[in-house]
Amino acid sequence: MGMAPKSSRDPLEFRKPPENLSVPEPEPPPREDDEQLYQELRELILAPEQQALKQLHQRVDDPASRTEDVGSVVAEAIQLRRKQGGDEALSAALTPTIETALRESVRKDPGTLADALFPVMGPAIRRSILETLRSFLESFNQVLDQSLSLKGLQWRIEALRTGRTFTEVALLHSLVFRVEQVFLIHKKTGLPLGHISAPSVAMQDPSLVSGMLSAIQDFVRDSFHTPREQGINRMNVGDLDVWIEQGPYAILACVVRGIAPRDLRDRMAEALENIHRDYSAQLEAFAGDSSPFAKVNQELGRCLGLRYREEAQARGFGFVYATAALIFLLAAGGIVWRAVQYSRWERLVNAFREQPGYVITSFGREGGKFVVRGMRDPLAGDPVAIINSSNVNPSAGVFYWGGYYALDDSMVEQRAVALLVPPTGTKLAVKDGVLEVSGTASASWVKEARAKALLVPGIRSVQFAPELEPVHLAFAEAKAAVEKSVIRFPLDSATLSSSERVSVREVAHNVQALVEAARALDQDISVEVVGHTDSTGAETSNLTLSRQRADRIVRELGQNGVAGRLLRARGVGVAQPLRNENTESDRGFNRSVTFRVTWANP
Amino acid sequence: MLQKKVCMLGSFAVGKTSLVRRYVEGIFSETYLTTVGVKIDKKNVQVDGKEVSMVLWDIYGEDDFQKMRWSHLRGASGYLLVADGTRKATLDKALELERRVREEAGAIPFIFVINKCDLLQDWEFDPTQAPELAGKNWSVLRSSAKTGEGVEEAFSLLARKMLG
Repeated sequence: MGMAPKSSRDPLEFRKPPENLSVPEPEPPPREDDEQLYQELRELILAPEQQALKQLHQRVDDPASRTEDVGSVVAEAIQLRRKQGGDEALSAALTPTIETALRESVRKDPGTLADALFPVMGPAIRRSILETLRSFLESFNQVLDQSLSLKGLQWRIEALRTGRTFTEVALLHSLVFRVEQVFLIHKKTGLPLGHISAPSVAMQDPSLVSGMLSAIQDFVRDSFHTPREQGINRMNVGDLDVWIEQGPYAILACVVRGIAPRDLRDRMAEALENIHRDYSAQLEAFAGDSSPFAKVNQELGRCLGLRYREEAQARGFGFVYATAALIFLLAAGGIVWRAVQYSRWERLVNAFREQPGYVITSFGREGGKFVVRGMRDPLAGDPVAIINSSNVNPSAGVFYWGGYYALDDSMVEQRAVALLVPPTGTKLAVKDGVLEVSGTASASWVKEARAKALLVPGIRSVQFAPELEPVHLAFAEAKAAVEKSVIRFPLDSATLSSSERVSVREVAHNVQALVEAARALDQDISVEVVGHTDSTGAETSNLTLSRQRADRIVRELGQNGVAGRLLRARGVGVAQPLRNENTESDRGFNRSVTFRVTWANP
Repeated sequence: MLQKKVCMLGSFAVGKTSLVRRYVEGIFSETYLTTVGVKIDKKNVQVDGKEVSMVLWDIYGEDDFQKMRWSHLRGASGYLLVADGTRKATLDKALELERRVREEAGAIPFIFVINKCDLLQDWEFDPTQAPELAGKNWSVLRSSAKTGEGVEEAFSLLARKMLG
């Protein structure tokens, strides 16, 4: 057992007799047995109280017990305090704790509070976004509609003239009505309790507007001696109407642009009634603190609204459709035009593809231009001429050509002609990479062509025609050398001059070479020696003289080693003159002998 | 934020509008004053850490042509009673107005402002000696809308009195 509190009185005191009673003799000091008895007596009398006191001490000292006690009455205590009108003090006391708890909760796990608020926040956010989008689309449609019309042009001029934005002017003209601002005003003080406004509305200070509205109402009441509960229901200022709804403690004022429908009045009345129902005590006790009315703007929001002219909308839709159709037609036209252009360019590209010496590697549009990439043989046709022959606009395209050697037969043939430069009478043809050379050509050209032909890109072999083979060429050259020889004689003579004898020896040499060339061809030749005269003198004597001249040469050739069997003399007189005799020189040329080579066995 | 309606009372041409103009930047045309009988302005002030929005109703002073509209006084939390130190008659009018306010609206806080202290040499009465003010225990301030002297103090003192 613990000690009794010091402040407690000695229990024996209660046992003392009253003073006015007779007092017995003092007792001797207690013995040890008496002390024991006292102790037992004390315990007997005071034990329940001491036990209760001890338990009370333990309960007060034990935090768990205290918490249990307070917890069981805390809700009732808060309710009692609220009933006693201590809301503000209670709020002030609890706010820091609640704010701290909220902050701590968000810091620890934002998800908990987010989950709790989700059912409220989600719809509110969605509604806000939808309202904003709807408002934006309406405004956009209006502006788009009007900006494309004649009226839109007029309004644009008006906007320039008045300094307003085009959107604002368009809005003002196309509105049936719009509630631009809503004021909730305390009737007695004229102070604003709440205020909201439509987007993009220029606002004055709500306190001042509310005050002036109240002052004007007072002015009208004083002027016309109307009862206090009555007041102005409507004011008109220029484009604006102010609709006023009177309540016992507050008035609701809507600033309307345009002509509002009747049901706005009903909405105002309903809103004002709801406000008086929900805030009656606060309205009555209002002394300047508008914080209890923080949520009143939700109710005021019901009075905001707008409507556009239907005819403007109908026409607007017409314009929108017409605009859409125009845009569609323009787009379709653009697509068709592009397709036609593409088709033309595609045809041009195909023309290049068909053209020898061109290879197209890519074709398409890049950066709004047609781009053609490919390779071109240097000898291919002029690309500008090909483009000009098409019906495309050259400035709409760009060409990039790389160089290469085309292997088409025609291109290879052109290349061979350009490189070998065949003489007149020589024909070159390429077929499957084989160069075929025919016609007549000198042995030297043939020799050079034979050496250079395989250097021409695209030629893999060369075929010369038989007449261009070396043996044939040698025979032809020897024959030509003989047949071009002319041995000249003096007037009326078959005598050879010494210089002509030298020429005859050369002819003899050529005839022997000719015989050798003919032998290489397994042929025999015969050389006809033809005597000529000029036209002077008698025909018979000329014929004789020409024969004498031919015979003279035959003998001379024989003397120079030419077998006589190869030679045959013939005199033609003036029948086959070498030149027309216009001059003495011409006549001197006809006084000659010529040679004609024929096959011995044709 | 706390809002308080404050009225400016006083005789015609004592300088009420000038005091308000000195105190705030007005946005309404002053023609309202002569047509409706009041011009309203606003001033936010800090009083002991609290922000108070004072909505000032500058009420047209009475003259031979126009009576003051007492309806404008309704709901006021306080008022500035303004007199012109250079015109003794405005003191008498102020006394009358104060009595009338007490009858109409009860005892509401006010400050008695004697304006035009920049013309002190022309004053027709000394508020410290004026027998009319003796024993009234009014808060009296001297002001000058011209120099700004006492203007802020008058409004601040009134704000403090209104908040009790």
